[in-house]
Amino acid sequence: MNYVEYLNNLIRSEVLRNDNSVLFGQNINAGSYLSGLTKNIKVNLHSRIINSTNAEYSLTGFGFGLMMNGASGVFLLKQLDFLLLGIDHIVNTYNIIRNLNDKYPKGSFTIIPTIVDSGFDGPQSSFNNFNDLCSIARVKGFTISNKSEADYLITNHLFEPGFRIIALSQRLGKQEIIDENPPINIFCNGEIFQYSNGEDVTIVSSNFSYPQANKLSNFLKKNKIKASHFNISSGLIENLSIIINNASLTKKIILVDDSKCIQTSAEQVLPLLANCNLEKTLILKRNLNENWLSPVSDIFEIDEENVLYNLTN
Amino acid sequence: MKNKIFQELIRNRLSQVIINEEYKSGNFKIPIHLSLGHEAIAVAISNTLKPQDKLLLTHRNMSYNLARSGKLRPIIDEYYLKESGLANGRLGSMNLINLDSNIIYSSSILANNFSVAAGIAMADNIFDNSAVTFVLGGDGSMEEGSFYESLVMMKSLNLGIIIIIENNEWSLGTHINERRVDINLDKLCESLGIVYQKLDNNSVLDYLNTLQETRIKCKQNSQPICIEVNVKTLGDRVTPPTHEFPNGKYINYHAGPASTVDIKSDFYGLILRENSEDPLFVLQEEIGIEKLNKYGLEILEQLKTELL
Repeated sequence: MNYVEYLNNLIRSEVLRNDNSVLFGQNINAGSYLSGLTKNIKVNLHSRIINSTNAEYSLTGFGFGLMMNGASGVFLLKQLDFLLLGIDHIVNTYNIIRNLNDKYPKGSFTIIPTIVDSGFDGPQSSFNNFNDLCSIARVKGFTISNKSEADYLITNHLFEPGFRIIALSQRLGKQEIIDENPPINIFCNGEIFQYSNGEDVTIVSSNFSYPQANKLSNFLKKNKIKASHFNISSGLIENLSIIINNASLTKKIILVDDSKCIQTSAEQVLPLLANCNLEKTLILKRNLNENWLSPVSDIFEIDEENVLYNLTN
Repeated sequence: MKNKIFQELIRNRLSQVIINEEYKSGNFKIPIHLSLGHEAIAVAISNTLKPQDKLLLTHRNMSYNLARSGKLRPIIDEYYLKESGLANGRLGSMNLINLDSNIIYSSSILANNFSVAAGIAMADNIFDNSAVTFVLGGDGSMEEGSFYESLVMMKSLNLGIIIIIENNEWSLGTHINERRVDINLDKLCESLGIVYQKLDNNSVLDYLNTLQETRIKCKQNSQPICIEVNVKTLGDRVTPPTHEFPNGKYINYHAGPASTVDIKSDFYGLILRENSEDPLFVLQEEIGIEKLNKYGLEILEQLKTELL
């Protein structure tokens, strides 16, 4: 089952378990159903599914209105870039709600954007750094990279009281959902997933770089280097004590991030590791070519042999 | 009932004048927008709301918060950011919300609240609780794209919302004629199939009757209705003559203390404009000077006692 089909199954199941909910977004109940993500969703008697108008700013405000009045809103949209139009509500409207969190009814609002990271989409589809969006107003957000993360995050957070953004990857969409390596630990309500525990090096992946980091971890293992691999699914870099403790033991860290922004999660994590007495620090991120604004392949690849060389020399 | 409404109107004006005196003292740290001149529509809406209804306001929400709470002390305390304030000092003025009195949201971002109102009305639709949502905006906010987006959404989803546009013709220091072409709100609403009404005489009873009828229609038909209200935000002034402005320069009131508004020993002084731009002048025409003065002095004493 591919990534989108698996998420579709999970969302359908959660929607049926929750009443008084409104699912809305452009074409979510028509056409390609957001490439299959919202296909065949059925809602309960007191819930609605709405093929909405094309108005991302107002749709974001609409969701917060639902939440403010005790209902559950889920806004699904095709592209993270579109959500830039709703940023006023994500910053300012949400600030009001959380300031009066004890007074408003316990409604819920979740935005599910797809990050266009499969390449060849051009200059208006280049916003892939999810943590920037979460950071601007300190809003809770998660990325989903594999089956285990999908299971945990959709089940626990889709209709949880409060607000969050759950970002999906277009690049992973048509691929078989990754299910090879279940997490050995889940920390901070799904903000950090730990996939392996090794004493030689700490690998920290973020945004949608889990597949590359997982491949690197396996490669290193074949070369007798045991890694502790953590994937930060949270869009906010806050409580990293579990990673700091691990890096303090391994003394070596590899930070992996596929974002296109200047200040990737890797750069945000690094200062927090200042007291780990690190002997080796490797930051693996994109080297954007000068044609990065044009439709290009957008592939983020890691030179694993080079990483191995750097770790052992 | 009528007398209660009249007293609320006077109380609303007097409370704002007292707040203005505090404001002049320079003790408030937060920005405050007085709404002198908005009392008639505020009191009328307040008396139209049913217990299940919701009200969404703008940064100029003072007269509405005064009308709904019926108290002055908690609002002044809120402006001083005290724990005893209406929102425990957590919101200040521009975002002042009072969930116990149906004020579910106030936004300082122009036109931000229209789409939030749509969501709130949608939730009430799901809960099937026969509520109507009232949302306020101004002639500036209807220039924002979100106003149009929200009207389309409200109509498409058959939401029971009454949209009140307080048209005071000013956006900060720019008059409506300076900044844009005329927007025919009637035609705009018509193009979307939304009923449009206009209020402009500042009679609190007329406004109340219209709003009560409108609320029934809105709920019965599950449709948004837009009401444009002509208001004059009082507290404006003319500067002393200069070489550049030999007759003085007109300064409209936007925010801050209104320097030309004072507490007078004589209650008649609280009528700020001798025409229908001032709801208190309209009230004086309706009930007579003696009754206005009697109510005014009684309410002033009540407010003084409340503030002691």
